[in-house]
Amino acid sequence: MSSKINGQVSPHSCSHLLQFRRRNGPDSFRALQDCLRVKPPGGRASIRRDPAEVPCCQACGESGSNRLYACVTCAAVSCHAPQLTSHAAAHAQSMSPGHEIAVDVDRAELFCCECRDQVYDQGFDAAFVLAQNTATTTTGSTLMQYSAEPGNLRKRRRVDYRHWSPDSRECVTMTNLSTPLYDSTNSSDVPWGLRGLNNLGNTCFMNSVLQALLHTPLLRNYFLSDRHNRYHCQQKNVANNDGKNGRLCLACDVDAMFSAVFSGDRTPYSPAKFLYSWWQHAANLASYEQQDAHEFFISMLHRIHEKEEKDQGKPHSQGSGDCCIAHRVFSGILRSDVMCMACGFTSTTYDPCIDFPLDLEPNRGGSAKSSSTKSHNSCNVEAERISLNKDCSISTLKGCLERFTRPERLGSDQKFFCQKCQVRQECLKQMSIRKLPLVSCFHIKRFEHSSIRKMSRKVDGHLQFPFSLDMAPYLSSSILRSRFGHRIFPFDGDEQDAPNDLSSEFELFAVVTHTGRLDAGHYVTYLRFSNQWYKCDDAWITQVSENIVRAAQGYMMFYVQKMLCYRASEK
Amino acid sequence: MDPQDLQETIHTKLIKSGERERLKELLRERLAESGWENEMRALCRAFVRDKVTSSVRLDDLIKVITPRGRESVPDNVKAELLQQIRSFIASNAV
Repeated sequence: MSSKINGQVSPHSCSHLLQFRRRNGPDSFRALQDCLRVKPPGGRASIRRDPAEVPCCQACGESGSNRLYACVTCAAVSCHAPQLTSHAAAHAQSMSPGHEIAVDVDRAELFCCECRDQVYDQGFDAAFVLAQNTATTTTGSTLMQYSAEPGNLRKRRRVDYRHWSPDSRECVTMTNLSTPLYDSTNSSDVPWGLRGLNNLGNTCFMNSVLQALLHTPLLRNYFLSDRHNRYHCQQKNVANNDGKNGRLCLACDVDAMFSAVFSGDRTPYSPAKFLYSWWQHAANLASYEQQDAHEFFISMLHRIHEKEEKDQGKPHSQGSGDCCIAHRVFSGILRSDVMCMACGFTSTTYDPCIDFPLDLEPNRGGSAKSSSTKSHNSCNVEAERISLNKDCSISTLKGCLERFTRPERLGSDQKFFCQKCQVRQECLKQMSIRKLPLVSCFHIKRFEHSSIRKMSRKVDGHLQFPFSLDMAPYLSSSILRSRFGHRIFPFDGDEQDAPNDLSSEFELFAVVTHTGRLDAGHYVTYLRFSNQWYKCDDAWITQVSENIVRAAQGYMMFYVQKMLCYRASEK
Repeated sequence: MDPQDLQETIHTKLIKSGERERLKELLRERLAESGWENEMRALCRAFVRDKVTSSVRLDDLIKVITPRGRESVPDNVKAELLQQIRSFIASNAV
């Protein structure tokens, strides 16, 4: 009963729907389009013959408690109670054939009264989406062009986690060839691998990020389980005759650092070799000046990726995370929808991202994210009202994420070229997360560099961030669902990929904070070990209460996915 | 005025003034905030997953989920909505 659209399985159309379509042709739902009333914000759409209409069941006058369905053939409105009487079903039977299909007046979703089930029609859904985006309905075919689903999101079968235990032979190998990290005689309750990092001259920007990365669960496991063996790698580099540069592998230095930090030695470690290596890679940043911790973070991940790409010889798309451990852990995919306000044509693009940059203030003057206060669009009036409310309340990470995924009207100075209209038009842009990374790094844009005014400044405001975060509302599937209700989307084949309840839940494990001014500041990292927080201030590690962390000025927050899902290997 | 008429009058007034719509939105917001919506979604998913043989009809789903949903509405949400309705009735001289 299901059909394939664009190679994806779509919800079934029942025989009654198919008959209806056959009988009424391509404009089957034309009359309905005229009745679509969209109430911004949230875009909830309903079917009303006139805006003030209060629909009620023509059989019993019921207008409140049960769902109301309007027959798409004769517009008769009937109530439907799944457990009790259904006047909608009675209508379908009495007027049969031809009156089986009805539309939910409050949700604009199709229903088959005979099959007693929701049905989907691509033509209707496309028309619905179009009508939602425009004030007036248009004639002719609707155009919803989606750029190709990122091909690298291979639909691998999800498999259950199988715990691994070494067999006797593996036990022997392990005993002979490896060194146990955990020393059972170490009775101290300071977490394993917690070690201070010496400041080598304004290197707190580096130390803070390193502390966070050294305790990023997936990264730590990768290096500690010898997935990047620095001896092996160096031998290979020399063998490949890469010359002097061949020995440069930041991942090798990271590997060395992991070994040192997790060796059990508690004295502060000096990451001098690592710093030197990083300088070789980022020559423009090689100085004893204070740098931006976030810039360092990006640069470090980039270097690891580059070397891996060079070794593997073929470029991988970053979104899939198959290229290197840095992307495997940190990269996600962002989806950007740009809707032309004139014709409703939507252009969708997917881009990989390695972290989430978030603006702090709701109404920054120069920032592109601010809503135009002069707009007459009712959407924006609502957005204005919300942001005014937020001015009185505290900034939260969730608020930032909501703002990040909120539809944003690109004003007249940012007109976008619409492929259908063939002119520049004003449009609505909305971001959402197509694929969540395993570790989400939220970067709060506190440092503003204005090239126009030739000055930089720091935004000091406090940001409230949760220790547990559910990212589900910011996913593309959620954003689209809240925009359109339950629809078929041409790309929608990822029901298998649909996040289960746990795969969008994240736990905070590291916070990099910045105190002080732009030119004279200090970075400190707070690490969380099973609900106990530790402050890592260069070489000094101290246990702190969670209130200290909550009050800190978060600059980069690291969240790890609570539950990891496994997919069948390609091999 | 007998209770049935009273209920109908209130109902009509709620709809005509747009208050019913506003209350519905408020309820939606509160239920989403309290995690009720996520719980229901999880229940629906579990129900669909368990139905191995056939696909699930909307009506079946509603039949199963409705009682669970009704009983798990947080008390404070109920109280807030009741309070809002009460003040509406009071200020509209029904």
